[in-house]
Amino acid sequence: MFKNIRFFKRDNTVEKVVDLNHQRVFILPTNKGLSFLVLIAILFLIAFVYNNNLCYLLAFLLSSIFLISILHSYQSIFGLRLELIGCNKVFAGEMAEVNLLLSNPGNIDRVNLNIGFSKSNKLSLGKQKQKKLTFFLFVEKRGWHRMNKIVISSTYPFGFFTVWSPIRFSKKYLAYPALASDNCPLPMMDIEESVEEELMNSSIAGGDDFYGLKTYQDGDAIKQIDWKSFAKGQGLYIKQFQKNATASNQQLWLDYDFTTASDLEEKLSQLCRWVVDAEKQGLDYGFSLPGFSLQPSHGLNHYQQCLEALALYRPVVID
Amino acid sequence: METEIDRRIIIFILASVALIVLPHSGHIPISLLVFFYSLLIWRFCVLWDKKWIPKKWLVSLLSAIAIYQLYSLNQGVFGRDAGTSIFITALGLKILESNKEQDFYLVSYLAFVVASSQFLYSQSILMLGYILFVTCSLFAALITLNTKNNDAKPAIKKILTMTAQAIPITVLLFFMFPRIDPPDWLLFNQQNTAVSGLSDTLRPGSISKLGFSHDLVFRAKFKGKIPPVQDLYWRGPVFSQTDGLNWTETNNRHFLRQMDKLVTYGQPSHYTVMMEPQDGHWIFTLDMPTVYPQKLIKNGLFQLLNPTKPKKRKQYEITSFLKFNTGKLTDTEYSDNTQLPAQPMPEVTQLVNELKGDNDSAQFLISAIFHHFKNNDFSYTLNPPVMEINPIETFLFKARSGFCGHYATAFVYLLRVANIPARVVSGYQGGSINKVGNFLEIKQSDAHAWAEVWLENKGWVRFDPTSAVAPDQFSEQNLESSTAEKQKNFEIIENKNLFNRWVTRAGDVWSNMDYEWQQWIIHYRGEKQSKFLSSWGITGIKSMFYWLTVLVFFMLGLFTWVILRNQKTNIDKVLMTYQRFCDSLAKVGVIKRKAETAHDFALRAKQLRPDLANNISLITWSYINLQYKKDSGIDDFKAFKKQVNSFKA
Repeated sequence: MFKNIRFFKRDNTVEKVVDLNHQRVFILPTNKGLSFLVLIAILFLIAFVYNNNLCYLLAFLLSSIFLISILHSYQSIFGLRLELIGCNKVFAGEMAEVNLLLSNPGNIDRVNLNIGFSKSNKLSLGKQKQKKLTFFLFVEKRGWHRMNKIVISSTYPFGFFTVWSPIRFSKKYLAYPALASDNCPLPMMDIEESVEEELMNSSIAGGDDFYGLKTYQDGDAIKQIDWKSFAKGQGLYIKQFQKNATASNQQLWLDYDFTTASDLEEKLSQLCRWVVDAEKQGLDYGFSLPGFSLQPSHGLNHYQQCLEALALYRPVVID
Repeated sequence: METEIDRRIIIFILASVALIVLPHSGHIPISLLVFFYSLLIWRFCVLWDKKWIPKKWLVSLLSAIAIYQLYSLNQGVFGRDAGTSIFITALGLKILESNKEQDFYLVSYLAFVVASSQFLYSQSILMLGYILFVTCSLFAALITLNTKNNDAKPAIKKILTMTAQAIPITVLLFFMFPRIDPPDWLLFNQQNTAVSGLSDTLRPGSISKLGFSHDLVFRAKFKGKIPPVQDLYWRGPVFSQTDGLNWTETNNRHFLRQMDKLVTYGQPSHYTVMMEPQDGHWIFTLDMPTVYPQKLIKNGLFQLLNPTKPKKRKQYEITSFLKFNTGKLTDTEYSDNTQLPAQPMPEVTQLVNELKGDNDSAQFLISAIFHHFKNNDFSYTLNPPVMEINPIETFLFKARSGFCGHYATAFVYLLRVANIPARVVSGYQGGSINKVGNFLEIKQSDAHAWAEVWLENKGWVRFDPTSAVAPDQFSEQNLESSTAEKQKNFEIIENKNLFNRWVTRAGDVWSNMDYEWQQWIIHYRGEKQSKFLSSWGITGIKSMFYWLTVLVFFMLGLFTWVILRNQKTNIDKVLMTYQRFCDSLAKVGVIKRKAETAHDFALRAKQLRPDLANNISLITWSYINLQYKKDSGIDDFKAFKKQVNSFKA
């Protein structure tokens, strides 16, 4: 029976942009509004008992203003446009940052708006103005998250009515596992040192291990930047080295099995920390989860692939 | 709401409330007034320093004092004064302990009730204007309270817009909402603001100075022409009993059935009498009223009476015939109207005999008395000497000066000595015409007394003996009574002065406005309402509600359109208009590709149609501006729309 009423419809999510039109704006009287009705009733009673036309007039005026205030309340959020700019990826236990753009295309100032996910923030917006809003959502668990519904509401002008519009964006955001604390060193630290040594040697010797130059990309290790060419004004390049076979078994492997924690989530957290640390230090690292592995590499792409795998990892349960 | 309310918002609310209570200062007990404003000032003190916050026990004590005060005022619980006192007391106490948002909401609601109670005391246009002003102010204060924005300007702007939109609906409700008279038991004993008008005793001898106020007694609006001034005698108390000093009304006035049949002739005069609140029962009408509202009583003295003293303004539709014959006299009437307090003094008898000569006709004697007054140094004065002993004889033979009461009583006395039935009638005479509204205004200063004599074959006939000494009273346009005589002359001289004429004119306009105000606002109910609405084809309560609902919803729909219309996103409108431009280009084969920016598309289109290059760049430039420039407004959009509309590919 209620299926066709939009209020009860489940799927009213929006992709990116939403205009607050009559289908999205709801209105109900508040307690103050209801008690104002009681006041009007009292005024009518006085007018009736004393048969006084001016008392009637005042009661009529208050009733009319009450009726008109329905429209003005509705107007206070009607026509606003909310646009989802995006939200960053986040580690569980941290705050996800959601960026929204609220614009007021109409010709009236919007005052006294409340907007927010769970608790609302006051805000006002001049006519034909827009404002970028940033919300921080606390994320508890890794994996995909649906965004909570965001509510824009207002009680302007008298507080007799509350108008609101609940908005749920269909876009999901990904949370990586919580980062383990700093004090878990990368596995096989010795290898790391040897690699570093090797790097030094190679750069000093300029031996055949040097493979070539590559343009700098985000995420490349600062240590590998070819400062000489940068100084010549040729731009940022990084030195690439040919890895010989003997070095490969000494490579850094971030393996699920190396983790020391006992619990699955803690293990993932530890892996997560390793990935972050290794990437920060500009190392090549291989990555391995049960049923998933990546050859050693580095860079933003590789880094994100690892983290996504961690975020979405589901242990295979064998009955 | 944990956050503290800004001080300025509280001041705004308190000031509005103070203004709302202010007009009550005229009619509530002074102790109550002091109590209320002290609490209000106390609350102001709390704003400046927290240490003034009253302790709980103090509030309880104050409440107890308030209850004792209300009790000692002895007004009871119901009724206008009691209700007002209770609401003002409650308002004061609530203000003192208000702290949170909802407290101030309650304060505002109480203040609205107090505002409404003002109308129970005064129903003038000015009071309505004042209450509208303070209501708007209170609403604006509510907006600042709700938005927590201490800047009053946007709030005031908002409430003015809203009031402007609410007024058409208010007017509609006012005229169409069916008024039902409350049952009688609900009408609380209302204190009257009645004008003390004519008294039911006439005692001309004891008055040394006649001073009537210029207070309005009633208004009369004629359908058709206003009768000539010699017919404008508005009948009030009729005095036929006298003890020589006082003249009073007889108790024998309910013998209507035994009376002769009234014969009327000539054209009837239809008019509406709108009475100010009165102390007496009399409804002042022209002789002889034949059609009148059913609740009124016409008695044997041809008076119209309202059995309940109308303490409020009331109006009555009356039809009078100015020419009539009351026919024969009953025995009671005869004895009542020839009654003398004692054997008349010899000189009076002698005077009557002298005047009468050997002619027995009543009419001869009447004209003889008129001549006597005219030719024997009788004069008209508003400051006659006091005649406490034998007033009539003193007046006739010594003082020879007096006002209408003296002349009327002496005239009647002389006729009665000659055994001719006569009586004194008092009421109002004339009135002043309001040129704007074309109605008569009758003031206290128009009070008058005249005589009625019963003549064979003519019935009761009116004679005004005062006219023998002050004939000017009835000349030309002079509808004012003798009290205003001097003023009248003064006015004629001053009338050359344009300013004075304007003042008179402005006075008339104001008075007419007041009349229409009474007609259309204060008295708009019951019959008046159904009459007005039926002229629009709306009859019966059902159809009133039907049309009221339809029209209110129509108006709300209209306002919805007006208010929400502009909210359609401008960006959409711009896009749609641009799309039309693209469509018209598409018709000639220049199709915009999906990924193409407006700029790129324009470049391509210009190459394809160099003849349209100018227009294309113009429109594209406007479009880009509208889309991305911050301060583009509605005018820019209109210009853009115009460009697109005139674009032809």
